[in-house]
Amino acid sequence: MNIIEIEGLTYTYPGAETPILDHVNLQVEKGDFLAIVGNNGCGKSTLCKTLNGLIPHFITGEFSGRVLVDGVNTLEADVGALAKKAGYVYQDFENQIVRPTVLDDASYACLNYAMADYEKRGKEALALCGLEGWEQDYVWSLSGGQTHLLALAGAVSLGPEVLILDEPIAQLDPGHADRIYGVLKELNEKHGKTILVIEHHTEYIADYCKHVVLMRDGKIAWKLPANEALRRVGELRESNIFPPQVTLAADGLRRRGALPWEQALPTTVEEGKAAFSPLSYRENPVPPEAAPRREEEPAVEFRGVSVSYRSVKGEPRKIFAGLDLTIRRGDKVALIGSNGAGKSTLMKLMVGLLKPSEGEIFLNGDSIHRKRTEDLSRQISLVYQNPEQMFIQDSIRADVSFAMKARGVKDYQRRTRQLLERFRLEDLAERDGRLLSGGQMRRASLAIGVALDPGILLLDEPTANLDIATRREIMKTLEDMKEITGTVMIATHDMQLVCQWAQRIVVLKNGRVVADGTRDQIFGDRALLEEVGIRPPEIFSMGQALDKRALCYTVEEFLDSFGEGA
Amino acid sequence: MELGTKTKKKLSESVLDKFSMDFLRNQVLKNAYGNDDTVIAKLDPRVLIAWYLFFGLAPWFVNDLWFLMASFLLVVATTLLAKVAGLVLLVFALGVFSQTGYLLLVSLLFGGNGDTVAPLLVLTLKVATCSLASVTVFSGLDPDKLSCGLMWFGCPERLSFSISYAYRVLPMLMEEFQNILLSFRLRGNPPIREGFVGSVKYLWYQIKTVMHAFYPLMLNTAKRSRTTVEALEIRGYRNAAVDKTVKKMKLAALKVSYNDLLFLAVSLLWIALAVLASTLA
Amino acid sequence: MERTQKQTATQSQKLMVFVLTMALYGLATLFTELIPSFQAGLVEFSVEYFLFIPLTLAMLFDPMSAALGAATGELVFSEIMLGQFGGLGELEKFITVTIGVYVAGRLVKDPRNYKMVGFAAIFGTALQLFLGMVVDICKVQFAVEDFEAVPGLPESVFATEGFAFLNDLLFSGILFCLLPTLFLVPRLYGKIEPLLGMAPRTEKNSLGGISPKMVVGCVIAFVCAAAAELLATSGLSLIDWEADWAGSGTAIAIGLVIAAVVAIAAILVLKARSGKEQAKAE
Repeated sequence: MNIIEIEGLTYTYPGAETPILDHVNLQVEKGDFLAIVGNNGCGKSTLCKTLNGLIPHFITGEFSGRVLVDGVNTLEADVGALAKKAGYVYQDFENQIVRPTVLDDASYACLNYAMADYEKRGKEALALCGLEGWEQDYVWSLSGGQTHLLALAGAVSLGPEVLILDEPIAQLDPGHADRIYGVLKELNEKHGKTILVIEHHTEYIADYCKHVVLMRDGKIAWKLPANEALRRVGELRESNIFPPQVTLAADGLRRRGALPWEQALPTTVEEGKAAFSPLSYRENPVPPEAAPRREEEPAVEFRGVSVSYRSVKGEPRKIFAGLDLTIRRGDKVALIGSNGAGKSTLMKLMVGLLKPSEGEIFLNGDSIHRKRTEDLSRQISLVYQNPEQMFIQDSIRADVSFAMKARGVKDYQRRTRQLLERFRLEDLAERDGRLLSGGQMRRASLAIGVALDPGILLLDEPTANLDIATRREIMKTLEDMKEITGTVMIATHDMQLVCQWAQRIVVLKNGRVVADGTRDQIFGDRALLEEVGIRPPEIFSMGQALDKRALCYTVEEFLDSFGEGA
Repeated sequence: MELGTKTKKKLSESVLDKFSMDFLRNQVLKNAYGNDDTVIAKLDPRVLIAWYLFFGLAPWFVNDLWFLMASFLLVVATTLLAKVAGLVLLVFALGVFSQTGYLLLVSLLFGGNGDTVAPLLVLTLKVATCSLASVTVFSGLDPDKLSCGLMWFGCPERLSFSISYAYRVLPMLMEEFQNILLSFRLRGNPPIREGFVGSVKYLWYQIKTVMHAFYPLMLNTAKRSRTTVEALEIRGYRNAAVDKTVKKMKLAALKVSYNDLLFLAVSLLWIALAVLASTLA
Repeated sequence: MERTQKQTATQSQKLMVFVLTMALYGLATLFTELIPSFQAGLVEFSVEYFLFIPLTLAMLFDPMSAALGAATGELVFSEIMLGQFGGLGELEKFITVTIGVYVAGRLVKDPRNYKMVGFAAIFGTALQLFLGMVVDICKVQFAVEDFEAVPGLPESVFATEGFAFLNDLLFSGILFCLLPTLFLVPRLYGKIEPLLGMAPRTEKNSLGGISPKMVVGCVIAFVCAAAAELLATSGLSLIDWEADWAGSGTAIAIGLVIAAVVAIAAILVLKARSGKEQAKAE
């Protein structure tokens, strides 16, 4: 039985010239777990909004065609009736939560639709989403992952047959991401819900989804079973989707002749074990990593730093207690750890936004408390996780030149031009940063961050929320920047970025540095990975599964280690 | 002019330097949700609002000193019971001063004497009593109970939604504003604060910064409110606004207990004693 | 079908403008509440430092939603959140802000016209300040007994209020309302509207200028505001409490005391009993 039927759907946003959805036809079976993939701006989110009636009831525009959800034509039902058929969780889900306590928010919709058992429904939804026991907590005390689960519970409470999630794990660490998908899997398998996700992370698609829809330019290119879909390496790459690393590796091996052409490409590590079993490991051809230089001067030093946040009730929450850490000049440090481990706090301390309650922080040898925040910016610069907060002027050009102008840098106009060129922003220079696409925004925020030529650059999650192509572009930009900036620290969940870029990895857990070393030292330590909940890149796990000696961080390294055939 | 400069200096410091957004956010939330286990917070919101209607209005109509003093002491007691956040009390003190305190100074300047001061003191007492009564009710209750109570008295749904939404959005807005201000701070270059000209320039710079910060804040908040309003639509907000049963269900949780009655009776006793004393005096 | 769709859209857009203005202006007034009156010598700057926020939004979007959003935001964030709710008296602030912002928003037909924006900003501010001043003067006049008889008081009230009005308008009105509005409106125009899914305001789709109906509406609203404010301060003569007490006051007072004591005793007994019952039931 089809729970969603879309026929000849064409939709144009008000004021737009070309339709964003162009004759879309799609059937989704009841009980499916469907991933929708496609590059930025191909109409994925728009398609999802037609399912719950926001389009065309709430957002007007030109709408033609037919959308049936659970047998109901979306044109004939109102948004309220459709909300009971299809629940929606936004990408910026925290704006979706409107009530102060968890139970209140979960049962809010049921109350609004005058369901007598609203509280019971809310509780049930929370239980389904793994938030049992949090009912009376305030929403601001939840972690990012929990907040997402709460947004999901709010949608589940109405008992819809279809659940739609827009990039559910974009901002989450692997632990929280697994939890979200675990909950979705249970909803799908035990409760028979049909689930649609817009997702870039193909490893998750391989592990959880049943079908994949590829969208291209407002059209459905194909809908295939997940395994088959992920094997279409070429087509996915054209749409800026990266297949799982295991699949890519198998594809590479096939090209090198190490695997037979007729072999079906594996999509998960488990499948990989079988497919790669004939291969044998060859001693790592990559020269061992150079030992980290220790002779350099310290750039930033934390000495016995303690920080706590005020809490609404009871004792203040301690983030750091007696933290000691030294970052040396020229270090390329990745700061990793789960959500809430204190990564952002550490960065805020370094730029003087937060003041430690105990201890001191030294920047190039001087205590930062004795410096004006404004003077710090010549030495250290922070690029926020959310690039929108970096844009304080009405054009990219003004934003890039702002700090230089304020400090009376003589040839600021020439330097601005250079920066715009280096970050390929010339064509966007006069536009407002907020109105750009995700990747452009990120590039612009990097340009702003390095404008004053700071010795130390801090980047908070530079690759979050990006599709793979843009991510790659940012990685390339970061590689390029290695030459121009001295010391760089990146806080991230993106282990591929860590493996490819970082020379030193600092692992935080509960406000403590639990490990500090090279990638071999960190990823080679199984007990540590378990303890902190870090997941190495899939290709690394694949290598490990085949041979314990293999430490492959990229697909290329994997190919070099295993590509010579049996 | 010396005084002016000092205040300006203080102001400019309090705007961006000492005045921590984190502190403010914490105080507001603490005030709203941090004291939900006090005697006052456990009372029925309708009873408290009715109580407030008396102590918020009656002092304006009465000039009897006994009565005013008794009311004042009572609301001081309830304010203490409600464990109101320090910031709120500070704002209260500033508010009372700005309403009548300055009038006192000015009328003295225009040749007033003891006769001028007495009525103004009475006025100050009235203002203080009414303010503290409102502090007790509006800070002592948690916002959701308060909006339920207001709804029972027939306040528009939009208002009670606004109250709970305001508490929801405030922490997010403040964080965003803080980050934007930080961007200005890190990348800007304020004039050095030295001498009179320097501090005026500095103040002007700070004011300009706060104004400019609203440009990005407005755009970012616009993005946010779009998602929020779409989500509200899906979650039946507009349905609730017109559906009478929803209102009934929301109000069903309200119950008057013995404690409420006791609270009213004790207040009555206290005021009656004051009236008695006044008639005997 | 088409028609109803459009109607809901504008409803939701109004809600967006309302939420946006409420959140932003509310946040801003929360700050002003903390620096309520900073005094330089005798001059008190107790202006709405941030009135430029609703003014800007009212010129770009639906003026009524922006005006109501601003007034509600102030009420909720700075009055209720900080517990400074002044009862009926708040109605005055609510209505004067609404009128000022609404009128300013209606005056602007095309936000790209600098002069129009500037005039509307200063006019709206002046209107709000003036209405506030009228109410303030009346308030003190009614609140203080024998207003005329107290030496120096009437003069001082008129002088301070009048001076404050002019000062606020010329100093803060220009600094905090006119200039920021002139800065923000052209910058936001055409950028912020698409974020809310709306078309920018032009000469064609604007609501049109001030109509007589609107003026009448504003006047009625203001009279209500003033009446509420005065009711809050001047009921004095309506209920003559003191006369009551002067006569058989003592007897009534004793009666009240006894009634209260009896009530307290009764409630305590009932409470204790219900507590026991509950304990038994468990």
